[in-house]
Amino acid sequence: MSRYVESTSEEALVSRSARGDEQAFGVLVERYKGMLYSMARRLMKDPGRAEDAAQESFIKAWAALPGFKGESKFSSWLYRICYNTCISELRRRRPEVELDEAMGVPVEGPVQEFRNRDILATIQEEVSRLPDDYRAALTLYHFNGLSYEEIAKLTHKPMGTVKAHIHRARAALKARLLERVGWDNLKEVMWQ
Amino acid sequence: MNCEEVRRTVQDYVTRELSPENRRLFDTHLVECAECQRELALMTALVSTLDHQTVLAPSPGFGEKVLAALPKQRRCFPSPWWSLALAPLLAGLVWLFRVPLERGMVHVAGRVGLDGFTLPAVSYQQVGIAAATIVGLGLLVAVGGVVFCWRAYLQE
Repeated sequence: MSRYVESTSEEALVSRSARGDEQAFGVLVERYKGMLYSMARRLMKDPGRAEDAAQESFIKAWAALPGFKGESKFSSWLYRICYNTCISELRRRRPEVELDEAMGVPVEGPVQEFRNRDILATIQEEVSRLPDDYRAALTLYHFNGLSYEEIAKLTHKPMGTVKAHIHRARAALKARLLERVGWDNLKEVMWQ
Repeated sequence: MNCEEVRRTVQDYVTRELSPENRRLFDTHLVECAECQRELALMTALVSTLDHQTVLAPSPGFGEKVLAALPKQRRCFPSPWWSLALAPLLAGLVWLFRVPLERGMVHVAGRVGLDGFTLPAVSYQQVGIAAATIVGLGLLVAVGGVVFCWRAYLQE
C-alpha cells in the first residue's frame, strides 16, 4: 500500500477502485472502516453482527463502484449501503443481543457533555432500547452528521417523520436518564 | 413562552433550529425558571454527548478480511482504445467480402443516380498492405492491453 499515501485524493482512489484496483480500495476501507463499523454497531448493537454488516457493506460497495457516478459524496453513498445492509439484517433477525461500550467514551469535546462512564453506559443502553427507526435516525443525525433531508432520502421517510423520530428519541433518552440516574447525580457528573 | 412551550422547543433551541424571535422568548422565560434551566442543561448535555460519540474500531485485521472477501473476478481497465483491438477482425471481414462489398457499393451508387461509379483501381498488393497495417495496429493494441492487465494483476 506504499504507493497510496494518506494524501491521495478520495476521488482518485474511488476511480481506481471502480476499475478494479484492490490496493486503492484497501485505502478506502482503512479510511472508512471506523465510521462504517461504528454506524453498524449503533444500528445493530451486537459487535459481531455489526462487523459482518460493515464487511458486507464494503463488499457491496466494491461490486457497485463501477456504477458510482459521483452524484453524491462517496461517504454518503457508503453510509446508504451500510444503512440498507443493517436495516435488512435487522428485519431478517429480530433477536437482540446486549451491547457493551457501543457509545464509547468521548476523547474530547465541549465541557457541557457527559463524560462519566456510568452515565455514558446508561445512555448507550437506553439508545439500544429505542425502536429501530428512532435509533437509526438518531445515529444518522448525531453520529454520521447527516441532515434531516439526507436522512429522509436515505430512509425513504418524510422529513417531518425523521425529525419527529429524533425528537422522540432524545425525549425518551432524557426521561430514562432522569429516571435511572436522578437529577442530583446527573448534576454532579454533568460538568466533571 | 411558558414552561410547556419551553419543553416542547428545548431540542430546537439546543440544535439552533429555533427562530430568533422564539429564541428570545425562550431566553426570557429561562431567566426566571429554574426548572426549565435544568431542562435545558440536561438536553444540552445529552445532545452534546450524542454528537461526540467516538468512532469505534472493528477487530484487528478487519481491512484484510474485507479485501480477502472481495470477489476475485478482475476488472480489466476498460478503455475506448480497446475497441481498436477489433480492427484485425474488421479488416479480415472486409478482405473476405471485398467482392460482394464492391458490387453492393456500385449497386447503391446506381440507385442514387451515380451511374458509372467505380471504386478507385487498387491492386491486391495495395489492399494487402493496408489490411496488414490495420491488422498489425489492432494486434499491437490487443497485446498492449493484455500486458497492462497482467501488470495490474501482478500489482494486486
